[in-house]
Amino acid sequence: MVDSEPQAPNIVAENVQVRYTVNTNDPGQRSQGLRRIGNAMLGRRGQTTVRALRGVNLVAREGEMVGVVGANGSGKSTFLRNIAGVEQPDRGRILVRYQPLLLGVSAALQPALSGSENVRLGCLAMGLSPEEAAEAFDYVVELSSLGAAIHRPMGTYSSGMGARLRFAIALAARPKILLIDEALSTGDATFAERSERAMDELLAEAGTVLLVNHAAKVIQELCTRAVWMHKGEILMDGPAEAVAEKYRWWAWNVAKGKEDVAEKLLHDIVRNAVKEEINILEPELVKNPIPRHAARATKKERAFARHIKRRDHAEVIEETATPLLASAESQVWPEKFETPQSPAKFPALPKPASEAFSAVKSQAGPPPLRLRPSDKKVILRASDPLDRASAIASEGDLTGRRLALQARKVADKRYQDRQKRRDMDDSESVSASKTPHESSIGTHSRDSKR
Amino acid sequence: MNEPTNPSEVRNPLGLSTIPSVSSEGLVPVGKRTSLRSYLAALWNRRHFIIAESRAKMSGSTRKNLLGYGWLFLNPLLSVLAFWFIFGFILQSSRGIENFLGYLVIGVFFFQFTGKSMTGGTGSIRAGAQMIKGFQFPRAALPISTVVRNFLDFIPTVAVMLVLIAVIPPAEVITWRVILVIPVIALQTIFNVGLACLLARIGHKIPDLTNFMSIVSRFWLYGSGVFFSIEDRLADYPAILTAMQFNPMHAYLTLVRNSLLYGVDSPAWLWILGTVWAFGLLIVGFLFFWRGEESYGRL
Repeated sequence: MVDSEPQAPNIVAENVQVRYTVNTNDPGQRSQGLRRIGNAMLGRRGQTTVRALRGVNLVAREGEMVGVVGANGSGKSTFLRNIAGVEQPDRGRILVRYQPLLLGVSAALQPALSGSENVRLGCLAMGLSPEEAAEAFDYVVELSSLGAAIHRPMGTYSSGMGARLRFAIALAARPKILLIDEALSTGDATFAERSERAMDELLAEAGTVLLVNHAAKVIQELCTRAVWMHKGEILMDGPAEAVAEKYRWWAWNVAKGKEDVAEKLLHDIVRNAVKEEINILEPELVKNPIPRHAARATKKERAFARHIKRRDHAEVIEETATPLLASAESQVWPEKFETPQSPAKFPALPKPASEAFSAVKSQAGPPPLRLRPSDKKVILRASDPLDRASAIASEGDLTGRRLALQARKVADKRYQDRQKRRDMDDSESVSASKTPHESSIGTHSRDSKR
Repeated sequence: MNEPTNPSEVRNPLGLSTIPSVSSEGLVPVGKRTSLRSYLAALWNRRHFIIAESRAKMSGSTRKNLLGYGWLFLNPLLSVLAFWFIFGFILQSSRGIENFLGYLVIGVFFFQFTGKSMTGGTGSIRAGAQMIKGFQFPRAALPISTVVRNFLDFIPTVAVMLVLIAVIPPAEVITWRVILVIPVIALQTIFNVGLACLLARIGHKIPDLTNFMSIVSRFWLYGSGVFFSIEDRLADYPAILTAMQFNPMHAYLTLVRNSLLYGVDSPAWLWILGTVWAFGLLIVGFLFFWRGEESYGRL
């Protein structure tokens, strides 16, 4: 995760806010007076506004597989829908490099049609031409591995088979950004292997995958980075192992009814959260970072310079040999110091502002639990690395940095293992010379990887 | 983020926070309404999808029946027979119209095409909610595919109707003007696309419109002279008659009847009226729909 050279971003979400106005049965939300009579006549009880996303900032880069964990109703699916461009956020904006493809539980396939007809329809829906759809057909059949069931109506499929077909169709369009909303959980083990391979190919082509799943284990196994969403906000953003571990611990406590531990954990995480801000540089600024008024000044200078150029008078400059760097150095510095030099003294660095802040604030009792940061740009950060946050969250565990390194190593190792297995499989299949259909698919996928 | 995992901590020993800067070069806002030109280009690229989708819906609805596609021909055949039995055999009414059976059949079938496009277009956004939530495509594909589907239903109907009108007495005057049915169908289809686009956005904003549409459709049906000649009935009210004659459906129906049944030339103003309505509504409806492109994801 500690990259010296960050990859180019594929998705940038800046302060995304979404609210829905929905009907409610809540007696506390009931409207009063005339409006209540009107609502009763229309068969309504009352309306309430739900803030599904409260200012989410996220940058996902090339080759990253980001997992999104969180409880039900924390805004994961809404966030994915907004990234896919299916919905527009009320505030904020989302920038993408390529058109994202949302792979949801529901897709636009016709249950009355056979699987093969649906493959064609799905490919056309994603913008492929009929020729491309025909080419992609074999790939889809191979990836979904439905066998003869591909010719049966889709209404007769089991949910797992349907999910497999949808996943395969989605990958047939070769998207660069894939958003997966709990679609992989229904596939069996053989399909998990195939889908992993397909996603590795996608990531190798500088793509990005966002994976929403309740199961922290899936995130840990597949992703390099994870994001924990809670009530429409991003609580944690970091290496998949660390985030998923903490989410699991929290979810376990909630499930066991240990509300106090869960609350405390959440509270610590909120206190340690860095309110992520993103500064988006506009392309015109990137190209020419000089403000307009300054640019005008340079224009004037240029005109001045042109005027100078016009003079047909060349000044004679005496040519001197440029001194060599080494010789110049030897002139300034003595070869040897006769007297031992005392080491240079630097003034002590001032304490971090956050520490000073915490020193004042060390009062009895924790500060009130606040999930929603105020509108002011307050940046929350850990006051003390040894405070209760890390003590509870990573008790007897490695520090986050080591976790990050480890996560990266593990991910690399897994990738290499998979690659090795694949190479072995491929060589086996070539040596055994399986059906020509399957071997052609293998070469196709390998070509695309190169 | 936990403090030690924060990579900026390494570079930033003073604990000053930095806001990460991201260049937006090469990034585009997602799901925003594009310019009309690129929108039309995207729509044109999806033409295969629109056709495939309408055909899939059509065959999906017929496949469960034993006779399958046969119903596309049987349905109009049976309705013409029913009309013939009631109006031609039992009532023997002509209401002062020459070849009343042909007059009625043309009116009913051609009006059905527009009526179905109208109701289908009103609910097209709601019916395609799964698809809208599924992936990104120009949303105008939905109302257009509704019209395409009705058009595909309409073609076998017209074929059956032509055969039956020719077979069942009284005999028609068949001239070269039969060919003029094709431009009329084209104009009516263009009109339907505009209508479906217009109503799709309104129907998305006001879901109650779906209930209202069947009543509007009924009213329009009687106002277009499907069962009777409005020129005869409204002869005493010239003001209403003039207003009714601006009705595009009346223009299309009259054009078809003149060319197919009576073999006479239609007045030029009917052609102009039909063309202006078709292209005018197409432009207005499509632009209106395009302006609301971003809102269709929310239901």
